Amino acid sequence: MDAWILLPVILPVLAGVILLLSLAFDKKKNGGGQPDREPGAEELHSLHGYVAAVLAVSAALALAAALSGEHSVTLFELLKGIPVYFHVDDISRLFAIVISIVWLVVAFYSFVYMKHEGKEQRFYGFYLIVYGVLMALSFAGNLVTMYLFYEIMTLTSMPLVLHNGSREAIMAALKYLFYSMCGAYLGLFGIFFLYKYCDTLTFTAGGTLNPGLAQGNVTILLIAVFGMLVGFGAKAGMLPLHAWLPAAHPVAPSPASAVLSGVIAKAGVLAIIRVVFYVVGPDFLRGTWVQTAWMTLTLLTVFMGSMMAFREPVFKKRLAYSTVSQVSYILFGLSVLSPVGMTGALLHVVFHMVIKCALFLTAGIFIFQCGETRVEQFRGIGKQMPKTLWCYTFASLALIGIPPTSGFVSKWYLAQGALEAGVGVFGIVGPAVLLVSALLTAGYLLPITTSGFFPGGIVKHVKAEEKQDSNLEPSLEMLIPLAILAALAVLLGLFPNPLINFASRIAASVM
Amino acid sequence: MSEAILAVVILLPILGGVLIPLLPFKNRTQMMVYTEGLVLIDSVLAITMLFQQPQGSFVLFRFTSNLTLSFHLDGMGTVFAAIVSVLWPLCVLYAFEYMEHEKHEKIFFMFYVITFGVTLGIALAEDVVTMYCFYEMLTLVTLPLIMHTLTREAVLASRTYLYYSLGGAAFAFIGVIFILIYGTTPNFTPGGVLDLAAVGDRVNILLLIYVLCFMGFSVKAAMWPFSSWLPQAGVAPTPVTALLHAVAVVKAGAFAVMRVTYYSFGPDFVRGTWAQNVVMALAIFTIVYGCSRAVKETHIKRRLAWSTVSNLSYILFGAAIMTPLGLVGALSHMVAHAIMKICSFLCAGAVICKTGREYVHQLDGFGRKMPKVFAAFTVAGLALMGVPGLCGFISKWQLVRAAVDSQNPLAYAGVAALMISALLTAIYMLTIVVRAFFPRKDFDYDTIRDVKDPGWKMLLPFAIFVIAIVVIGLHSRPLIQGLESIAAQLP
Amino acid sequence: MEFVQNFPFFSILLSLFSGPLCSVIGGKAARRINLVVITVVGAMSASVLHFTIRSGEAYVYLMGHFPAPWGNEIRVGVLEALMALFFCVVMFLSMVGGSLERALEIEAEKENLYYVMVNLLLSSLLALIYTNDLFTAYVFVEINTISACGLIMIRQNGRTIEAATRYMIMSLLGSGLLLLGICFLYDMTGHLLMSNIKEQVQILHATGDYHISLLVTVSLMSVGIAIKSALYPFHAWLPDAYGYSTLSSAAILSSLVSKGYIFLLVKIFYRVIGFDIVRDSKIVNILFAFGVVGMIMGSVSAIKEGNIRRMIAYSSVAQIGYIYMGFGIGTTAGVIASLYHILSHAATKSLLFVAASGITDASGESTSFFDLTGAGYRNKLAGVAFTVGSLSMVGFPMFSGFISKLLFAQAAVDSAYYKMLPALIALAVSTILNAVYFMKTVIRIYTPADREEIQRRGFRNVTMADQKAKSAALVCFIILNMALGLCSEPVVRLLSEGLQMFA
Repeated sequence: MDAWILLPVILPVLAGVILLLSLAFDKKKNGGGQPDREPGAEELHSLHGYVAAVLAVSAALALAAALSGEHSVTLFELLKGIPVYFHVDDISRLFAIVISIVWLVVAFYSFVYMKHEGKEQRFYGFYLIVYGVLMALSFAGNLVTMYLFYEIMTLTSMPLVLHNGSREAIMAALKYLFYSMCGAYLGLFGIFFLYKYCDTLTFTAGGTLNPGLAQGNVTILLIAVFGMLVGFGAKAGMLPLHAWLPAAHPVAPSPASAVLSGVIAKAGVLAIIRVVFYVVGPDFLRGTWVQTAWMTLTLLTVFMGSMMAFREPVFKKRLAYSTVSQVSYILFGLSVLSPVGMTGALLHVVFHMVIKCALFLTAGIFIFQCGETRVEQFRGIGKQMPKTLWCYTFASLALIGIPPTSGFVSKWYLAQGALEAGVGVFGIVGPAVLLVSALLTAGYLLPITTSGFFPGGIVKHVKAEEKQDSNLEPSLEMLIPLAILAALAVLLGLFPNPLINFASRIAASVM
Repeated sequence: MSEAILAVVILLPILGGVLIPLLPFKNRTQMMVYTEGLVLIDSVLAITMLFQQPQGSFVLFRFTSNLTLSFHLDGMGTVFAAIVSVLWPLCVLYAFEYMEHEKHEKIFFMFYVITFGVTLGIALAEDVVTMYCFYEMLTLVTLPLIMHTLTREAVLASRTYLYYSLGGAAFAFIGVIFILIYGTTPNFTPGGVLDLAAVGDRVNILLLIYVLCFMGFSVKAAMWPFSSWLPQAGVAPTPVTALLHAVAVVKAGAFAVMRVTYYSFGPDFVRGTWAQNVVMALAIFTIVYGCSRAVKETHIKRRLAWSTVSNLSYILFGAAIMTPLGLVGALSHMVAHAIMKICSFLCAGAVICKTGREYVHQLDGFGRKMPKVFAAFTVAGLALMGVPGLCGFISKWQLVRAAVDSQNPLAYAGVAALMISALLTAIYMLTIVVRAFFPRKDFDYDTIRDVKDPGWKMLLPFAIFVIAIVVIGLHSRPLIQGLESIAAQLP
Repeated sequence: MEFVQNFPFFSILLSLFSGPLCSVIGGKAARRINLVVITVVGAMSASVLHFTIRSGEAYVYLMGHFPAPWGNEIRVGVLEALMALFFCVVMFLSMVGGSLERALEIEAEKENLYYVMVNLLLSSLLALIYTNDLFTAYVFVEINTISACGLIMIRQNGRTIEAATRYMIMSLLGSGLLLLGICFLYDMTGHLLMSNIKEQVQILHATGDYHISLLVTVSLMSVGIAIKSALYPFHAWLPDAYGYSTLSSAAILSSLVSKGYIFLLVKIFYRVIGFDIVRDSKIVNILFAFGVVGMIMGSVSAIKEGNIRRMIAYSSVAQIGYIYMGFGIGTTAGVIASLYHILSHAATKSLLFVAASGITDASGESTSFFDLTGAGYRNKLAGVAFTVGSLSMVGFPMFSGFISKLLFAQAAVDSAYYKMLPALIALAVSTILNAVYFMKTVIRIYTPADREEIQRRGFRNVTMADQKAKSAALVCFIILNMALGLCSEPVVRLLSEGLQMFA
């Protein structure tokens, strides 16, 4: 029986639901007065313990499931011939492991951070549920199961965005919701057609499209697949459905923006990988207008995201635009449909997940400690919190792709993949755009470091004055997760070989 | 004489309903017991009958030698009759709590119960004339229900409803006549009854008549451009809006359309012609149009009514695909939508009845105060959006499968329309949900101190509907198999 | 020769002579005599109907045993007997239903004169139904016109004089045209007896002589009768005449008088000219066009009308349109549909008039639409009856209107393209328009009125006990209507049998 691999799904979801329900019952006891009373320190403590325990156990289970060979579970038939089916393959492994680690790390960080946001119980309820759903998404073994959890992920991650309840937060959450839904329905549109023209919707390396059936219906199939790319691309912030991302990420609490940017945007990538390489098959798309359009869209997104980030003064918004740009690196790597490109893309999935989480955690610390959100206010911040800024600097260097950090490795593969793939003019334009974007990345990330360490004068931050203390360094609970991620960002670049092997094995299997 | 039960289940509520204002009830409870008992007994009878599947037909009355009022149970009838007989007792129960403060209760329940019988009559009609008769009767007996509050708006709404419905029936009537003359029999026969030899070179005329007939019957199913009566009719008490304007009346329209398409004119006759394109295009347009209006609407019941407009056209779209799979899709959405929409309407009704708030922007924070109602509403909303695992996804899947299978470019456009509509559905349902559960941070709960969940009579139907939504969503196999066996009878 | 065969002649004679008799006796006695005459005539028609059904063929009755071409003939078949019976029933119920109004609206010393007119009207209707002589028909058409004028004028409220004058002028115009047609025919054929004319016309048609003249003749007679029966656009006299006359007059005029003329037209078509010739002459197409337009325009006028009586009157224009549309289709099925509609409309329209008066009774005699609010609660029976009549008009299943709509539609489907679609669309549109004004009224009378307003205006509740005669009439009308709607098959069978015997 392989059903135990569902435990990392069920456990956090149940735990999360219990948290939310107890919230509701709590309210009843209070006689319906003020429903969101602040919990005492004691309660918070036990809440944190509970969340940490659940996450740790789930993550351990997830790792066990991912590392112990092939598993598959069939639950029940949702539709005729389409069961809810889970299967652990290499892609699942990659995503499940990285997501688990990042999720756990960010959770520890959030224990301190969330104190100033309040409503912790609700936050952690959804935080746990989303984790479970993400595991299910990683383990999903066919398209419909994946779609099922994709939708649930959208719905359950929305409360993370609107957490602070301000008007912008609610509007941003709705924007997030509707863009995601729009994308999901575009995806669903394609699923309907694939159901008809594929032998099976179960993920199979190399695709299941039935050439006999597809004969004569290529146009509509290409339209459908393009719809799926654009649709699932919405979560990944690809043009033209990217607009929710810069709206939603900044308003969410920093831990939430970290996982939204780092992890949930990758769910879109996962979906696209599944569709292109495991259902449709790369051969069907190679050389068609869909590939051309897809490459164009990703390159445009890469460039536009960087440009927008470059001129954006609000730090978290800048990071959000950066996400838009960086995730499209990944998509570009996929779109060239070559094994090397895909290897690069998978590597960048991992690296960007780690790096972007680190960056958002830094942003959180800035907000938490200084209460400031705009880049020009961070002048001289290096004096008050040198450790944080060092972590930030390492992560930034990794994102820019300075050797020997991790970003360099993935970008190398991405560029090489583009050059090798035989995609005509894109073989040149692609790497060029990546390069320009890398320069822009340097342009929007590094000034914070430079002005932070060398403000050119003495700058005292308001909070520092209040505290009569020039040291604004956060507590260790926040610093350690950040340090872990920053270290990972560098270390993965120093010792990339196991990952590269793993990624190229996956790429080889599908092409 | 086991066929006599066909007539009994129809006549029992009609006659029993007429008695409601005549019987000397001592108090409200007695009337409640009588009404619920009557409906329940009839439901049980009907459901028993559905399981027995009597094969023969029962002739109630003969107008002329070939025009009869006769009843016969077949697959499609079973589906509709099952929906109706399951929902009615629950809604009557709900209505008892809802109508507590309204006047003229007896008259209300009289017509409410009579409508039950008439709707069953449509479901069990053996031939097109019988169906037409009960269809007209349905217009008439539901009229007082819309007028019930007797406000100016209610009178206006009922007038609009009447004009639209009778007008639609007038055009549908033309189709009925053609079926009588060019068909080999007035009885519903899978695959149609047209005598193509007799039609000869009048094919185009007949197609035109088909379009008229389709549009005529789809007036009750609120297809554009005949959809505006439905939101207006939302002035009726919620038990009426929920049951009649989400299920019985409007589905009767869709049911009639399916009957004439698949069982009288015959799908083979129309498929691939301009007539199919016309009706399908109208249905597709309505799908998007209804949703867009729903997004704009801020009155909660009218919003749901526009949503119904859109969803009914899903069914019509399924019917317009004109393949056996299309029938499966249409029927499955008929079942699924019945449950989802009635559930969301009952929630809206509970809010309106218990708190008097009718507009979306007044619902801030309600999710915390009426958790059960809004939990049900959320589930229904998600199902309407077509989230997998709930029943809306199943029916949408069936519809789209049929559309993709038909290889008709217009049907592909229909698939796209379904997706757009799903997105719009997400917008108009989830904005309510988000508002209710996640009010603004400075929201003061004291302003809605009086809001709380309703009593068990209202909550029981919710619970049942929510369970049904989930169960059908997760375990659709038996339902879909049943529907496929119905469609398999088509040649 | 059986004794029953004399009955048609007796019934004409009885009603004709009871007219002068009424002029010399008092009002009350006249009323009794009138009812008795109608009853007796009805009974005689019933037995004639029975006889003809049993014998299965029509018979010719020679007046005074003079053979043609010198004598005057009566020809009786199933159709004639059925019509006579039905007219008697409707007239009886209308007289009963309108008795209350007559007592109020007619001056006591003139009451007996009213019954003179009614008796004469009955005799002329019977004569139109039975006669086989074109000139006799013309004579009774004139009698009919004059007595109808009397019926309109008897209620002295100013407007009726004007209405009657209008009616007189239009009617005489129609009669004039008819007379011209008859003269032409006489000139061409040398006969006045219908059967003889028909023989000659057949010959003329076969040889092709007098082609134009024949066409003109048919047109003249058709138009003449169309004017008299208020086919659109010759309907200007109708709303006032029906709207302001006393109740029983309105009911009788709308449901019987115009129908008598139409029956005469059927007779001319079938028995004088021959239906084939009429169809070939294309005159039917013109009737069809006017009929279709009338169906729509009559209803449109009715929608605009704010006075319930006049609204019902305008509805008659639409219904006459239906009947001509049925003729215009040019098939036997179309004619049967029209004949059925004559019955159905007669039963429904008089029901509506009587019910409307019941409703206005409960609204302080006001016929204005807005005063009727909630009247359905104040006079329950009239409310129900009005609803039934309206539903029948809208063609709701179970009521007579549904069957006539069904027959019309079936007839239309079997006709040529260019008639089928207009006919079907017009049927549908007209149904909608009917629904608009009739159901609007139904909803209005069931919309509760302001209680203070009711007290201020002194509207009173009317119960069945208050108006026994009217209530009884209403109940009978409802039964009649539903009987026609539910058991239409024997009636339709009689009509088609009768039409076969007719020619």
